[in-house]
Amino acid sequence: MSRRTTSHVKGAQQVSSQGKILSKLGLRTLTPAKRALLALSLAMCAIGFIAWMYQLDHGLAVTGMRNSFTWGLYIAIFAFMVGAAAGGMIVSSSIYLFKLDVLKPFARIASLSAFACILGAGLMIILDLGSINHIVNILTSANFRSPLVWDICVITGYLIITALSVIFQMLPSWKRRGIFGSAVIQVWSEQKTVDFSATWSRRVALVGLPFAVLIHTVTALIFATQAAREWWHTAILPPDFIAMAVASGSALVLMVCMVASGKQRLEDHRLAFALMARMVAGALTVHFFFTAIELLMNIWTGSAETTELMHLLFVEYGPFYSSELVLPLIALMMFFNKRIVQKRAGLFIGSILVIVGAFVHRMMLLYPGFNMFPLSLNVPAAAQDAWTVPIAIGEIQPDGSVFTSFWHYLPTSVEYCVVLLPLGLTLFILLYANTAYNPKRDT
Amino acid sequence: MKNGMVIDLDRCIGCQTCAVVCKMHNSLAPGVWWNRVFTQGTDEHQTAVGENDNLQMEFLPVSCQMCSDAACEKVCPTQASYYDQNGTVLVDYEKCIGCRYCMAACPYGVRQFNWRDPRETKAEAAHETAVALDAGLATNEAELGGVDRWSFARTQVVEAACLLGYPNPQFEGAAHHLVYTQNRPRGVVEKCTFCAQYTQNGELPACVRACPAKARSFGDLSDPTSEVSRMLASCSTVRLREDYGTEPKVYYLPPSNRKA
Ligand code: SF4
Ligand code: SF4
Repeated sequence: MSRRTTSHVKGAQQVSSQGKILSKLGLRTLTPAKRALLALSLAMCAIGFIAWMYQLDHGLAVTGMRNSFTWGLYIAIFAFMVGAAAGGMIVSSSIYLFKLDVLKPFARIASLSAFACILGAGLMIILDLGSINHIVNILTSANFRSPLVWDICVITGYLIITALSVIFQMLPSWKRRGIFGSAVIQVWSEQKTVDFSATWSRRVALVGLPFAVLIHTVTALIFATQAAREWWHTAILPPDFIAMAVASGSALVLMVCMVASGKQRLEDHRLAFALMARMVAGALTVHFFFTAIELLMNIWTGSAETTELMHLLFVEYGPFYSSELVLPLIALMMFFNKRIVQKRAGLFIGSILVIVGAFVHRMMLLYPGFNMFPLSLNVPAAAQDAWTVPIAIGEIQPDGSVFTSFWHYLPTSVEYCVVLLPLGLTLFILLYANTAYNPKRDT
Repeated sequence: MKNGMVIDLDRCIGCQTCAVVCKMHNSLAPGVWWNRVFTQGTDEHQTAVGENDNLQMEFLPVSCQMCSDAACEKVCPTQASYYDQNGTVLVDYEKCIGCRYCMAACPYGVRQFNWRDPRETKAEAAHETAVALDAGLATNEAELGGVDRWSFARTQVVEAACLLGYPNPQFEGAAHHLVYTQNRPRGVVEKCTFCAQYTQNGELPACVRACPAKARSFGDLSDPTSEVSRMLASCSTVRLREDYGTEPKVYYLPPSNRKA
């Protein structure tokens, strides 16, 4: 009873003092460096928003995409963030499902990272639309045979599940701080809140894990169902997406956890960090296994199409593709090394390599996907094996040409600015995740 | 009714007339082509491929193949891409959200996106033409004693550029899908409609009417007495990349003189 009164008084003061609000929201616990990051994330959102307004005003012509290359940086970031989101939930769910108690202090951060990433991903795909003013048709006239509609459904579901997971895990700490829907939980005793939180966190984790796998499977299906795109049309794409998601998602959670727990506490969580690093390494191993099979199958087939594909991968985009292979490979070796996973720097560098590698992996989904035009025909008299029918670019090039057989897609500065909006939003929530971590209470 | 088209490649002379009338009748912005004609095996139009005694120069007009199992329609999240009651694949410009999934899915590279407002593109192109003409006229103008007739005409040229093509919007079906309008909204996908504005009023598509070699036939594939059905029955036809399983309703009569 007395507890309720105090928090009520607290609530009254909250309005009057900004500093109190900061401390209520947990922002007081942020170091100056983290506050600077917080400011950065808000600045990113602002720049992204302005760039998006500019894009809405001028049309998608301000991007580097054209008729033969219709998805670019936005979709790569989208797929990347869906992957990171899936990974976050996979970490947080496995804590409950596989009783990985060493990771328990990080359950909230993992859930929050999943929530932050899926929110960013959902926002990203909206920024990619050409006619946002028609968006209501997705609800009123949905075509349920479209993998994009499946994706919207599972992503919405996932958003709800991760939000619930965050809420349930945060309940005890919110009760202590007396914020957010306090009215409901204030009537409960501390113990009841903790019990409720534990039970429901476990229940959500049970649904969360399959859902995490599902969102990334469906995102992969958007691509894998396209019979005309040689590079996408393979049943190995969804499992490979999952492997990459677990790798990049866990790497992201690992980084966030290390930032959150600070330098001094590395010692306390050595086991937890090493375990996450091992999860990353395991997932990468599976990814490389799939990649090897895929490449082998293509090289062995040796048809005109697969030869062109290999040319795109290893010659046209050779340096880019190699970095997709080499960076995670270095991380893999680092994370299997017992000494390196004990070191903060080693964990950081490895995680960054994985995240960069995962992003290149997403971009490389698009380059060979779009630059192998599906309408190629066998013209026996012509010298080359398969002749590609050129596609109208959608604008007249400075040299006067209109048709092309290859599009050198490079994101424009507007695209780089627009992606700052979802990335900034995600970073903002991730920074907030810092406050969700409280070593004293959780260990 | 099931509308389809047969294109006789033996008759096609690669003159690009169909591609250009399509542009005019459907009011396509500069850089946008619903229908394209290429010389098979090369990106240089009207050049032969092969060597010595094995030279060949065949053409290939490609527009929307009006698939019966259309990849674009299947992936469209909003049903903006849909079949009308004649099996023609159309895009409702008021429904399309511009996700461009259909463009990634279509195997034939026929879908075009409005990356910017087509009015702007048209006006710019017209303006450039006007400026070029202006430069040529400048000398004349001095002779005419500085009469500023051309600056008035230039405004009109720019305005007129946005008015080329069939003028009235075309709505289709009970749901009143907007399937043709002179200037499509920015951020939607467009493509060949079999000239919805004409065929729905019982006329032939512009390309069929314009072809000087009479290479194109259009009609009802479900009516065995139609010209297209008779051609399909009597000749062996091919469709583009049937291996993708899209079941196109545009058929080609392959060139008979092709050397293997
Ligand atoms: S050719 Fe392309 S746009 Fe036309 S119906 Fe087939 S898949 Fe759709
Ligand atoms: S771009 Fe338009 S027509 Fe194409 S799939 Fe998206 S909503 Fe449908």
